[in-house]
Amino acid sequence: MSDFQRSFARAHLSRLPPEPPAIPDEQQDATREDSLDIRPSSPNDSLSSASSASSTGTIVPSPSRNLFERPKGAALKSRSAPLPWEDFFSQELFLTQKKPSETTVHHAYLNPPTSSGPLVVTHHGAGSSGLSFASFTAEFLKLIPDAGVLSLDARGHGQTTTTDSTGVALSVQDLSLTTLAADVAFVVNAVKTEMKWTALPDIVLIGHSLGGAVVTEVAHERLLGNALLAYGVLDVVEGSAMDALRSMDTYLSTRPKSFPSLASGIDWHLKSRTIRNTISARVSVPPLLQESKAHDQWLWRTDLASTKPFWEGWFIGLSKKFLESRGGKLLLLAGTDRLDKELMIGQMQGKYQLQVFPEAGHFIQEDQPAKTAQVVADFYKRNDRSGLVLPPKVDDLIKQGKLKPASHK
Amino acid sequence: MINVCCRAIAQLRACRPIPEPQVRELCYKAREILIEEGNVVSVHAPVTICGDIHGQFHDLMELFRVGGDVPDTNYLFMGDFVDRGFYSLESFLLLLCLKVRYPDRITLIRGNHESRQITTVYGFYDECIRKYGSANVWRYCCEVFDYLALGALVLGATTDVPPAASDNENTQSTLPPEDEEVESEVLNANGDILSKTLRRRFAGLSMMSHHTNSSRISPAPDVDVPSPPDHPASSLPLQSSPSSQSLFTPPTSTTGAVLCVHGGLSPLIETVDKIRLIDRKQEVPHEGAMCDLLWSDPDEIEGWGLSPRGAGFLFGADIVRHFNHNNDLSLVARAHQLVMEGYKEMFDKTIVTVWSAPNYCYRCGNVAAILELGEDGSNGGCIARANGDQGRREPVGTDGSEGGSGVLWNLASPGRRYRVFEAAPQGTRGMPAKKPVGEYFL
Repeated sequence: MSDFQRSFARAHLSRLPPEPPAIPDEQQDATREDSLDIRPSSPNDSLSSASSASSTGTIVPSPSRNLFERPKGAALKSRSAPLPWEDFFSQELFLTQKKPSETTVHHAYLNPPTSSGPLVVTHHGAGSSGLSFASFTAEFLKLIPDAGVLSLDARGHGQTTTTDSTGVALSVQDLSLTTLAADVAFVVNAVKTEMKWTALPDIVLIGHSLGGAVVTEVAHERLLGNALLAYGVLDVVEGSAMDALRSMDTYLSTRPKSFPSLASGIDWHLKSRTIRNTISARVSVPPLLQESKAHDQWLWRTDLASTKPFWEGWFIGLSKKFLESRGGKLLLLAGTDRLDKELMIGQMQGKYQLQVFPEAGHFIQEDQPAKTAQVVADFYKRNDRSGLVLPPKVDDLIKQGKLKPASHK
Repeated sequence: MINVCCRAIAQLRACRPIPEPQVRELCYKAREILIEEGNVVSVHAPVTICGDIHGQFHDLMELFRVGGDVPDTNYLFMGDFVDRGFYSLESFLLLLCLKVRYPDRITLIRGNHESRQITTVYGFYDECIRKYGSANVWRYCCEVFDYLALGALVLGATTDVPPAASDNENTQSTLPPEDEEVESEVLNANGDILSKTLRRRFAGLSMMSHHTNSSRISPAPDVDVPSPPDHPASSLPLQSSPSSQSLFTPPTSTTGAVLCVHGGLSPLIETVDKIRLIDRKQEVPHEGAMCDLLWSDPDEIEGWGLSPRGAGFLFGADIVRHFNHNNDLSLVARAHQLVMEGYKEMFDKTIVTVWSAPNYCYRCGNVAAILELGEDGSNGGCIARANGDQGRREPVGTDGSEGGSGVLWNLASPGRRYRVFEAAPQGTRGMPAKKPVGEYFL
């Protein structure tokens, strides 16, 4: 996209009405609200269904949920109605971490692994939340049913809260890479304690955007020790991220500051094509917004502009760390391959697995949850220690007498 | 057809695409030629072996300038003609035109990028759409990809470094003394010698044949060899012949064959003949022997390992040593991995990586190389495929660090001349604008 196209798109997007223009159909909604076992949507109602490339997973809601509960009774089309996290995860955890100066209550969503299954730990990008991986999780567990998925809310995001020693919420968050990486290690170990696991299962770390930088840091510092099997980074490359940072202020200034309802927030994400999958947007957008009672509107939960001092620190050295760290490596990019020099050399030397989804937007795991899940599942299976059967070594075969020592005629 | 071909070659040499109907005809003709080739093409030395090109058209022109033009020079390209560079189309079509015009002077084998799935992601597909407005040309090319051979076997290479094509005084004046034999040399784009290595003299080793041989018979104290070599004499040539003979009889200059593949070896393939059994006329599969040949990499490990690429395998020195021994090969030549110096010999020179895309992707800052192998005239031009007893042998795996695998006396490696070159100065001319940065949302 040229600069001109981009600025045109921005101008165009900012003109979009935050409120969905559709006329609410009270009758239809009332009927639907009575029949709870109707699916919240069919995959066909996706906004992006025009593009055949998009894949929307069909999620079966848990019957106990009232899926069509309206915020403040506003009747909205079902394609903008929020979906509850319980449709995607079996439990949520609040894990308290006390430090002398501050107390952090980490919030995370969990589907525990069964028996010997691996645990996929996902870390969202800046301004997002753990539910950014909700649709991915549903798809992933279809492929590897005994696996678990732990998706955390980073500090300053979602329902993770940090208070100072007097119990007052911190206004300035420490979002440095070191802290965020340490948080991942804390949450994983706290979950282990909470779930009474005797040992950590095999872990695959998956991080999107900023989360990609965080999981790379965790791998690089070996914060999870030998439990870490492999790590995957979704749509972030040091070189192009650093380039993009320059235009971030402009980008943020074009976003709506508030929405009249959750549904309109979901609608904006879909119409602006920030998220190109209706079902994912319906579950991932609600935790991004919080209601402001005073003004009767929904504001961004995370003030992204205020995180600016940390931006460079997130991405500097990412390529080098990604290539250096131990464990299987996956880089999954949206659109086109925007590799920087280091990753280009690394890729052409065969140091990691690169996968590109040309049809996906930046929120690759939300736009294409099924395809992302498939790639991550294959990535896990390849790196799975227990399942790894390599062809026997020639010398071993000779030792075992299964192969004659080489001799020529 | 020849006229049409010559015109197309001229046009493509000027980096101008040829019209779509001509592409269709060219691809049809190319398929007719390629379908006649086996999975493993036999190529007779002398030959110049080239690695990845990746659509860097101007650098391909530089390669021809440095290595000589077709048909004067016999070329073998080891795949990855397309993707990443901005002139995949012109580069591939030119090579294909040359193949159709001079089928015996240029050999093309398949790389992992010669695939529908890969080209849709890494640029060739987009380039075809941009230049022709439709996917037809891309489709024709992909059909040709399916017919490309999977490997080549270079026969009749000499242990001597081939005579320089150009009369370079340097070459003459720096001829080694009579008792030294140059094994490989590295030349820059102007033909100046940058470095050379001398062949190790194993005659000296054979003087102490008792020590070395006894240690070879029982490779390591902890290894129980179930069946000792059936014919120790034949597998240990120096033992069978008096040491004086190997010292004073000029050794034959015949080497083993050189296997050329894009990626590397496969655990499913123990012999070159197994490669011939593959049904190759298909899209590159995600796994299996064909996939491995195009995707695997050598690595400093023992045995086979997991490839971080997500396809193919890693293989260690022991694998190559035994593969070469069992197949009467002296060398595996492959491409697939970017090496900053243009070429890289590994595992006691049993395998070499050749990379021919300088400053890869216009930003990696590497040089490129091509590998020239000379023709062995000592046999009167007669080439024996499996000439074990005649061939000169050299020990591989002698540094003792490889574990209890012992020494193999493999056929002597061919003399190798590497020509190293840098990116063509005009390589960036007409380069499309920088790729847009992503709409990052942190």
